[in-house]
Parts: sequence; structure tokens; C-alpha cells
Amino acid sequence: MIGFAGLSHLGLVSSIAAASKGFEVLAFDPDRALCTDLQQGRLPVYEPGLAKLLETHRERIRFTPDVRELRECDVNYLSLDVPTDAGDRSDVSVLHERMMELLANSAPGTALVLLSQVSPGFTRRWEQRLRSTPEWRDLSLYYQVETLILGRALERALRPERFIVGCDDPRQPLPAAYRELLDAFGCPIFPMRYESAELTKLAINMYLVSSVSVTNTLADLCEKLGADWAEIVPTLKLDPRIGPSAYLAPGLGLSGGNLERDLATVRTLANEVGADAGVVDAWVANSRQRRDWVLRVLHSEVLTRNDSPTVAVWGLAYKPDTASLKNSPAVHLIEALRTAWVRAYDPRAVLSSEGRPHFRQVDTALDACRDADALAIVTPWREFALVNLALLRERMRGRTIVDPFGVLDKARCMREGFDHVRLGEPLEVKETVA
Amino acid sequence: MIRHLQPAPALRGRVVVLGASGFVGRDLMDHLSSLGVETLGLSSRNVNLLEASSVERLQSLLRKDDTLVFASAITPDRGRDTRALMRNLSMGEHVAAVLEKTPLAHVAYISSDAVYADDAGLLRETTPTAPDTLYGLMHVTRERMLALAAQKSQTPFLVLRPVALYGPADTHNSYGPNRFLRSARGDGKIRLFGDGEEKRDHVYIRDFTRLLGQCLLRRSIGTLNVAAGRAVSFAVLARTITKLCERPVCIDCQERNAPITHRHFEISALLQAFPSFAFTPLHEALAMTAGQLAAAA
Repeated sequence: MIGFAGLSHLGLVSSIAAASKGFEVLAFDPDRALCTDLQQGRLPVYEPGLAKLLETHRERIRFTPDVRELRECDVNYLSLDVPTDAGDRSDVSVLHERMMELLANSAPGTALVLLSQVSPGFTRRWEQRLRSTPEWRDLSLYYQVETLILGRALERALRPERFIVGCDDPRQPLPAAYRELLDAFGCPIFPMRYESAELTKLAINMYLVSSVSVTNTLADLCEKLGADWAEIVPTLKLDPRIGPSAYLAPGLGLSGGNLERDLATVRTLANEVGADAGVVDAWVANSRQRRDWVLRVLHSEVLTRNDSPTVAVWGLAYKPDTASLKNSPAVHLIEALRTAWVRAYDPRAVLSSEGRPHFRQVDTALDACRDADALAIVTPWREFALVNLALLRERMRGRTIVDPFGVLDKARCMREGFDHVRLGEPLEVKETVA
Repeated sequence: MIRHLQPAPALRGRVVVLGASGFVGRDLMDHLSSLGVETLGLSSRNVNLLEASSVERLQSLLRKDDTLVFASAITPDRGRDTRALMRNLSMGEHVAAVLEKTPLAHVAYISSDAVYADDAGLLRETTPTAPDTLYGLMHVTRERMLALAAQKSQTPFLVLRPVALYGPADTHNSYGPNRFLRSARGDGKIRLFGDGEEKRDHVYIRDFTRLLGQCLLRRSIGTLNVAAGRAVSFAVLARTITKLCERPVCIDCQERNAPITHRHFEISALLQAFPSFAFTPLHEALAMTAGQLAAAA
């Protein structure tokens, strides 16, 4: 049996994915109400396809608030998402508590697998504690790299490209039960020392951030030089050194928390060991600059032209197919629009209006646009592309659509009389100076 | 980045301006008066900040609910050397000594974008300070001196770092709008280095004092660059000015004695702090400045 301790987004997706591969799964969380909800098929997080997968494989997964039941398992995952603070630094205190709990409730011979987001050195320190504590010596400890992508978590959990497993000694075979579980996913397995695995996770995200930053930098240049990034992208995708899956869509900077956490970790590590991480500062600065792109366009087009403007915001989540607001550009925008009235709509995410007297969340995309001087589409949910533009025109007072991701068709918007602004295209905002 | 301690604009006490006879100080006094704010303008005639006795003198003039604006400095046109640096630091030392012992409602220090390196790329408040000149070094040092003093007396502290300011009352005559306007009116020539390719951000003095006024009304703390967010080349600036002049003006391109550098500002922090603040378009502000210069003549 496979155990999972910690049922946040990561634990839920991973445990249900394991059940779907035919394994008996015991999923533990100390929150009794959460376990009751899960046992009845009610998920606390939104992830496309997850509820259906749970429903299909419910007979193989049991949710329990009793940690002692983990003694029945051959492999126990510590699968808690590690929270981050306002500076995107991990708070691993909960992880330490859960680790102690897991050690105390795992039977001798169990393989313990850390799936949570930890920094290089974390697993080795626990391994040393295991070796120096007689009652834990029969346990083996592994670190398995997770690359959860909210909104696409299931697809990645069910069809991973590879497994990266940090080991005390990578020359030793993995425990049979653990190996059997990983083999069920039919992808290559890369055992390596703990530190390498921990750094691999950072390496993956650093490469992604560098792509995102390069794309955003070049899109910014396009806007100012009269080029259109959309025309350039297809040529880059055909270059094998860049590739069809490269992050070539310009966006509003880094959000969601995971990439930001890893940047903070790399900066801290580099500082500790005396390595140069100046590039990380540049990425962070680039991200912040792009995050405020919508605000800059709105400032130029609307905020300085109306005494009491109303701005409609479509999308609050940091990206589509999630309800997460972590480092969401929409939330930053709304915080900055305190001299305007803001009406927002999001299919999943909810933002409190407490402490935001200028803000109201409404139930439909069109309702958000009532008497709006401008519309900002900050999260590119697919459903926004289906909105009737003629109705939108009727609802709005103004004609400005700030659509960074190009959710709406520009030509159609223009035919309806809108001014449509997208990331990466020549920006013709009215300048505040000559 | 700045934060407003006061949610809605309001100013209960008085605003005391150090450097009230200077370019910024005078315009600020005018602007605050137009808002009905009580002001006390101090210049070197009232309190000579170069003298140690200014500490006691200033202390005796200040009240607990005062807002203090420190807009006094020996500008580069009056000295770029070590002596000017030391004199400026001495002024900073005296104001810091007052501030350390005298809690106030709010203190605003008028610094400069000279705190950044000439080739620092896109500038924002988080850009490390790396001044290329003693003038910039002076501002960095005074910012730190005053921040420490304000911390000791628990006085809310604001630093504004404006780009080059221009307006009819400017006496500095530095390379840019003011010099171009004056020389166009004077001998009908605007002298550019090279072809005037360098791009700079320029802010009209009244825009700066309006923004500073809003910071005072909201008791803003932190550090904010004051730039319009759109840099234009000196060549564009010169051509705009020629169109404002009644008689023909010749643009004279002279040999460049320094490499071309550009200076752009990313002003999201300003937009977040004051989302509806609008800078006067450059051509309008230049026209106003030209008109006021003509009227004064």
C-alpha cells in the first residue's frame, strides 16, 4: 500500500494518480473534516479532471485523519505543499513537524519519499538524523522531484516525462514497492544523490524562468520598436535549439509562487556559498516590470482621462484552470486601481472585497463590464473568447480592451469599434509627453 | 516604492520648506499656498544650514506637527567638486541632527536621479544606487543620514528622486529644456552634443510639486523616482522648442565629448502610488515655460 501524508494540491493529485495506476492508497491528513469531504468525493481544490478521476478510482483510495494507519504502508510520501511568505521564501516548519509524525508512524523497512518543495541540503540533513536514531535506522529516505503545474497537474502526474529520485546512495536499487509504483507510470527513472535531485528541480524552473524572461524582454522590445512578437514566434519554434514547447508566449511576469520560491531559494543558496546569482535579480526585476503592463496601459488610456473611471477585470486567478490567487497580476492590478471602480469576474477564483472598497466581484463576464471605461483581461480563461462582442459593446461605456494574452480576436474587436491592446504588438498608447 | 500612511489626502499641520527660495522650494510654496496649506519657507537668509548654529535655530522654529521638506542643496552649476560635496554633506549633517532630536509629522527629502549610474539601463526604485558624480554621491549619503535620523525620532520619511526638472524659474541652466529655451530666445541657437541622440526623461516643475504635494497630503513614506516614464532625445526636445519660438532657431550640432547614454524610467511604483496622476505632456509644458519666460522678459 502507498501512503500519502499531507493532502494539499500536491498530495491530492499525487495520491489520486497513484490510485489510478491500480495501487491501494492511504491518504492521511490531520484535518478530519477534509478527510470526510474527500471520502465523499468533495475536493477542496480545483484541478481539471481530478474529481472525475477520484470518482473512477475511489475504491482504491482511503482518506484518513489517523496518522497511525500509515504503518500499513510500504511507501510513505510526505506530500505537503510548502507554504511561502510574502517574500516567496518557503516556510518548512510544518514540513519538519510532519516529517517527525511520519517517522514515528512508519513501519520498519518503509520507504519514505519526500515530495514536498525543499531546498538542496534538506533531505541529507534528515538522512543523517535517520542514521543516528536507532528506531529509524530501518527506514530509507528518498526525495522525488515534483513539477506540479496547477491547471495541468493531472496530465503531468499521470504522464510524467521522467522520475528524478534523490537517494542516499544512487548505486543501490530502489525498494521494490517504490520501484513498482514508479514503473507503473512507464517513464525513465533517474536515481541520483539527494543534492543533485534537489538542484534538478531548481534547474528545471530556472530554465523556464529564463525562457519566460527572454520572451517578455523581447515582447517589450517589439511593443516599442513596432515589431509583432506573434510574427516572430513560429520561426523560433522551428529552431531545434528553442523548440515547439518553449515558453514563447509573453505574459505578465512570474506568478503562482513556485517559480518565485525557487528564485528566492537560488538567491539564498548563491549568497550562502558565494556564487553569482545576479541573473536572478534581473529576472525578478523583469517579472515585476511586466506584471504592471496592464496598469501602465490603463494609466495612459483611461485613468488619467476620467475623473472616476470604472475598470472591468476578467480573471483573478494567476492563470486559467486554477482558483489560486498567489502572486496574481490581477490582484496586484486591483490593489493599484484604488482611484477607480473595479468590477471583476473569474470563473473559479474568489477575491474578498474586504479592505477593497473600490472592488466588487460579480457573477458573469458581461456584468463586470457594465458601464466600464475599459476592460482588462488579466487571466486568459478560454470562456472569455466566447463572449459576444456586440453585447460587450452595449455594456461598456468606453472602448478600450487591454487583452495582454490576445484572448479576443483583435480584428473582430476593432470591427466592433474597440481599441484592442495586446502584449508583444506595437503599442500605440497615447503618450503623456510629446 | 512608497506607502501612504494617510488613506485620504489631508494635512493638519504646517509645511516647513528648507530651500524655499530655490527652484523647487519656490514652486512648492506656491502650489501648497494654492491648496490652502500653511507654509513656512526657510532659505539660507533665515537659517544657514552650512553653519552649526543652524541646528539650534531650526529646532526652535519647528513644531511637533510640522511636515519638513528638505529641498536645499548646492547644485552642480554652483560646484561639482569636493568642496561642494562637503558643504552639501555639512547641510545634511545639520538637518539630520535636528531630525534626530525632533520628532515631526513627516519629512520629505528631495534627492535626485543622479544617485543612479549613467549606464544603469531601465531605472526603477530597486536599481542599486551607484552615482557617477559627487553630486549623486552627496544625495545617496544625505538620504542615508536623514533616514537614520528619522528612524531615531520615529518620523515618517520620504525620499523623492526626480529626473531633470524644468520650468521658467529654473536657474541651473543645465543641458536640456531650460538651456535650450533660453538660448533659443537669446541668440536663436540650440547647441546639441553630437546629434542629440541621448534620451532623457524630463519633468515639468509644477508636475513635480503637485506630486510632492500629494505625497505630503498622504504622508507617504519610502523612496520614489519621479519621472514621466517616457524619455525623449535631446534632438526631439530641441525640435519641439524651435516650433515654439516665433523667430527661426538654428540647431547647432557640436562635437560630442562623452559617449551616448540613455536614461529610461520604469514608473510602475509611481502609477501604483498615484494611479490617476497625469504628467503634463512635454509640448504643453514646454509651451507654458516658453510663454512664462517671454512674459517675464
